[in-house]
Amino acid sequence: MVVSEEHEAEGAAKFTLRGTVIGLITPAIATAIAFPLAPARPEISIALFMLAVVIAAVAGGLGAGLIAGILASTIRPLVVEDPQLTFRFDDVEDVATGVVFLSVALIVGLLVGQASEDRARASRREREARFLGTLSSTLHTGEIPDRVLDEFAEVLLEPFALSKVEVEATLDGTELRAISGTDGEPSAGPRTTVPLLAGEASIGRLVAERPDGGRPFSRDDQLLLEAAARQATAALDRARLDARARIAQLDAETNQLRAAMFSSVTHDLRTPLASIKAGVTSLLDAAVHHDPEQERELLTTILEETDRLNRLVGNLLDLARIRAGALTPTRQQAAMDEIVEVVLARMRPRLVRHTVAADLPSDLPDVSVDPVQLDQVLTNLLENAGRHAPEGSEIRVSVQWIRDAVQVRIADQGPGIPMDEHERVFEAFYRGSSSPETPGSGLGLAISKAVVVAHGGRIWIESGPDGGCVVAFEIPGEEVAP
Amino acid sequence: MNRVLVVDDEPQIRRALRTSLEAHGYEVQTVGTGEEAVIGAAESAPELMLLDLGLPDLDGTEVIRRVRGFTELPIIVLSVRDAQQDKVAALDAGADDYVTKPFAMEELLARARAAMRRAQPGEPPAPTMRFGRLEMDLGRRLVVLDGETLRLTPTEYQLLEAFATHPGKLLTHQWLLRKVWGQGYGTETTYLRTYVRALRKKLGDDAQAPQLIVTEPGVGYRWIAESTDAES
Repeated sequence: MVVSEEHEAEGAAKFTLRGTVIGLITPAIATAIAFPLAPARPEISIALFMLAVVIAAVAGGLGAGLIAGILASTIRPLVVEDPQLTFRFDDVEDVATGVVFLSVALIVGLLVGQASEDRARASRREREARFLGTLSSTLHTGEIPDRVLDEFAEVLLEPFALSKVEVEATLDGTELRAISGTDGEPSAGPRTTVPLLAGEASIGRLVAERPDGGRPFSRDDQLLLEAAARQATAALDRARLDARARIAQLDAETNQLRAAMFSSVTHDLRTPLASIKAGVTSLLDAAVHHDPEQERELLTTILEETDRLNRLVGNLLDLARIRAGALTPTRQQAAMDEIVEVVLARMRPRLVRHTVAADLPSDLPDVSVDPVQLDQVLTNLLENAGRHAPEGSEIRVSVQWIRDAVQVRIADQGPGIPMDEHERVFEAFYRGSSSPETPGSGLGLAISKAVVVAHGGRIWIESGPDGGCVVAFEIPGEEVAP
Repeated sequence: MNRVLVVDDEPQIRRALRTSLEAHGYEVQTVGTGEEAVIGAAESAPELMLLDLGLPDLDGTEVIRRVRGFTELPIIVLSVRDAQQDKVAALDAGADDYVTKPFAMEELLARARAAMRRAQPGEPPAPTMRFGRLEMDLGRRLVVLDGETLRLTPTEYQLLEAFATHPGKLLTHQWLLRKVWGQGYGTETTYLRTYVRALRKKLGDDAQAPQLIVTEPGVGYRWIAESTDAES
């Protein structure tokens, strides 16, 4: 879209080549038509020449009209009264006709010029409006200030036929700068500077340059650049506020996360410790006599809580490892179905209240994975399923090979996870809104995701066909014959 | 009385192990460094060594190598969960088994008993063995399941023999590959997996509730079936 182009000032009589040609041709044509008719009907010749003048003025503007008028008033008397073409320019009637011709040419020419200028101005205004509209939508997209400035510098180049745009602005004490177009030596072309105004204060400036030998900046260009600069200032201001709001939100989220983490970890670490300490001190208390059953109960509690603590510590260590960027898989060729089998065998005692179904084809290609990490992913996912799915329901584990990747799916018949939480459940310390009281550190899925991603795979949640949820993950592998 | 050498730099673990092992009738010697472990293994000739891999002076694997220089005493490695590579290295260096910390005492004791039983001298492998429904005649290379003779390929038979003659022992991928396929092998775990799968199928063992062969992912396999008297 080009908004700045050269246009003639058509109001003044301007003798362009085109106008001159039209001004010469139209009376000539009129002469050619009038010549045979003139002796019999002189009034037709007047009409014809009048027509020629009008056509010349309409088609070629004021200059063309005037040329045609002068020509017509000179030629007409010759054509009408002296077919032998002798000059006799003394007749009052001829002079009067000439004056009429020129007046007509002047009036029509001026009107036409005016109309065409109006048209040109209207279309330029339309282009400018469209440009400013586009500029506004380009800049007002909630981007950060740097991006706004870059976009602004870039978007001006073509419409203004510029070779270089330089924008500088100071926002909240930070100096921003953007340059587009040819960088390097300053050209000798025309250049103009426009301030970036926020209210009355200048927050920066825009320097626009045209290539060497380019058109100088017109007043229209200047005005339009100023309008564009105002828009850029507004966009910058908005982006700055947006950025501030985003940072505030991020801070709030981080604080919230940190608070959630501390309360979660504190709670999860202290609870099993409390049970263990209570059990042990009770057993050590010489004054109390426990019967064998009570003793066994206390000891079982201690054992279970120790296991729980161990799992939590493992998860916390992994989280620390993820945060430190140290979760590197120690890969080896392994069969996914075998890893799943082992986890299922180990988890079976903890999933006795559920029906565990497994669909494990044994002819899948090997994948290069860290078996210990994958074991942990599966343990976490199965633990989750066991925690959320009602007693007696089915937990189905299936492994399949889909397009160069091994896919593992764990489907339960629990309450499921709302659509809008499908992403968030993978955040550390996030607990589903539907089950905030369910025990669990909120780390299992975050760690699982980190492990799967470290293996170059992906993990996601699907809603089960009949309620419940499916946690699926995929690890890419190469198809190799076993 | 069986003598056990406990090597761990944590006094609490040493105390807990000493108490539990003594309660089970073992004579316990505890040391805290790798050097002391090697000296202890040489001087007091224990029947079992429980070795923590994370020692302050010597790497646990190095301790195993030095000890293996003069004795075949059973060594069970105690290690934390994440040191998978260390476990494999320790097993390949000559350790008999590993137990992951934190462990249940009964599991450690079971492994210890199995390791010491295997190490008992003067007991040539019985020509016939029985593991519940499974009977093996090593002399005639015959395998019978529920009274029916099984048709095994030579490789499957060799694999089964390797398992059955090392009951309870954690056999690493590398060890099994060298034993069954030959010295040139060691990394072709896919072969091994394929044969273990086939063997499990023929023996009717469910990998999700194994009675015979347990998978230790990334490490190897363990034959868990207890040998029952062939005469009975």
